[in-house]
Amino acid sequence: MEQPIVQLQQVTKKIGKKTIINNLSLDLPLGEVFGFLGPNGAGKTTTIRMMVGLMAMTSGEIKIGGYSIRSQYQQAIRHVGAIVENPEMYKYLTGYQNLVHFARMIDGVTPQRIQEVIDLVGLESRIHDKVKTYSLGMRQRLGVAQAILHRPKLLILDEPTNGLDPAGIRELRDYLRQLSKDEGIAVFVSSHLLSEMELMCDRVAIIQNGKLIDVRTIQQGGINAQSDVNILFEVDKPAEALAVAAELGKDALREGDSIVLEANRDFVASFNARLVAEGIKVYGIRVQTKSLEDQFLEVTGGERIV
Amino acid sequence: MFKFMKLVANENMKIYRRPRTYVMLGLMLALIAAISIITYFVDDTHNTLAWNMIFTESMISYMLITVFTIIIASGSVADEFTSGTIKLLLIRPWSRSKVLLSKYIAVLLYALGMAVVMLLFSFILNTVLFGYQDVTASEVVSPLVSGSVAAYLLKYSLLKYVSLVVTTTLAFMLATVSRSGALAIGLSLFLILGVNSFAPLLATLKYKWADYLLFIHLDLTQYLDDAPMRDGMTLGFAFFVLAIYYVIFVGLAWYVFKKRDVAA
Repeated sequence: MEQPIVQLQQVTKKIGKKTIINNLSLDLPLGEVFGFLGPNGAGKTTTIRMMVGLMAMTSGEIKIGGYSIRSQYQQAIRHVGAIVENPEMYKYLTGYQNLVHFARMIDGVTPQRIQEVIDLVGLESRIHDKVKTYSLGMRQRLGVAQAILHRPKLLILDEPTNGLDPAGIRELRDYLRQLSKDEGIAVFVSSHLLSEMELMCDRVAIIQNGKLIDVRTIQQGGINAQSDVNILFEVDKPAEALAVAAELGKDALREGDSIVLEANRDFVASFNARLVAEGIKVYGIRVQTKSLEDQFLEVTGGERIV
Repeated sequence: MFKFMKLVANENMKIYRRPRTYVMLGLMLALIAAISIITYFVDDTHNTLAWNMIFTESMISYMLITVFTIIIASGSVADEFTSGTIKLLLIRPWSRSKVLLSKYIAVLLYALGMAVVMLLFSFILNTVLFGYQDVTASEVVSPLVSGSVAAYLLKYSLLKYVSLVVTTTLAFMLATVSRSGALAIGLSLFLILGVNSFAPLLATLKYKWADYLLFIHLDLTQYLDDAPMRDGMTLGFAFFVLAIYYVIFVGLAWYVFKKRDVAA
């Protein structure tokens, strides 16, 4: 595997006596949408602020593209596009002037590129209006536009779906996935919206109280030919279905009118045939994935998420 | 160098794309016009010298320019923190020092621009109203000074600009340290206008340390007429004291801006 674009090495941040981030280590490869999940106050935004050099870390090291954010800031930040917290732009300038402003600060952003980005985020019709007339969703779009202006290798978005309507969220999600797959950039997204992260990310890191609790790969659900997954059968006679499963040597659990057992693709088909042959009505068969929310609540010990 | 000028262009855009900048300019020009026009109608004998008007108006205008520049300087830094745009501004391949420098330069250019516009406007308006008289500085200002009146006005303006730079730097530093525009503007205006009115009183203090007070050196034009507020003070010494304050203001502003954790 090539060198990760972002390396967080034992990053610690203390403010006064309080430890905000505790010994956090993470590697992010290119071409991945990486979710950063945690309850409010877990230290997501603080971590992002340290990644872009807005805050100094107490100890540890963050490298972006191999450059230290501490000692080689300008090389490190060159390939980063970010929105930290809300997409705050200059309200008294037009959207276009805002983009020109940020384009001037980095080499190689041509007027054509600015136009391209405007088309991409769908702001063509309002780009010459003052930002103070924009809705939150439009500001979010403009925020994304300024972040991708210089074709960064790493895109950091703090709560990017805030204020977007469902269509906008879907559009953003598709766009981020496309960016990471086609252009091979790494996307780092923080959120407390679990369901959103499940759809958007390849991997998710869960943090709580400044500590990394877990990193999980998000599996896109489906019945797998090789490995066993939990399958739920919705039947009219669950007790008899359990007996059938036991005959076939499977431990099944009853859940109301359904039974759940571990099975692979072939077994699902044959088990279904058996149930039908036994005169048991099968109303539905589906994969029972543990949702990220369940996992999340499991690892964070059920702390409430807003 | 050329690339750095783009940062200054950005800061200029943020100053000149705001209506308030033109409101301030309009206020100043309206005040100048009002003084000249009222004098023109009040003075029946029509023996007012255009140069006298220019000096009166410059004196008032420099006060206004100081106030406006304090507002622009404080806003330049503090507004970025208040609106949160500082987070987007700093995550670019530029050092924080250069970002701050670009703001500082844009502010000084604004002050210079205001001064030039004010002088040109006042000169043209008063020449049109009162005619051009070829007079020397001794006839207009005071019998003690010599040379042409234009040269005197230029020297006067330069000294005013030096004070303006020191005052602006103070406001700029306060805004950088406090991140609050209102506090920086309020405190600077209090120090400059409030304490300055006590400057002649401070100047009479018998203590040696009073020599080093900022306020008794801020009005450098006192040395033009050779009438220093505090006995024994010279222009050279005033420059020296102002330079010390200047270095402290600049050092503090840049140090704080570089070190600060941005958590706005």
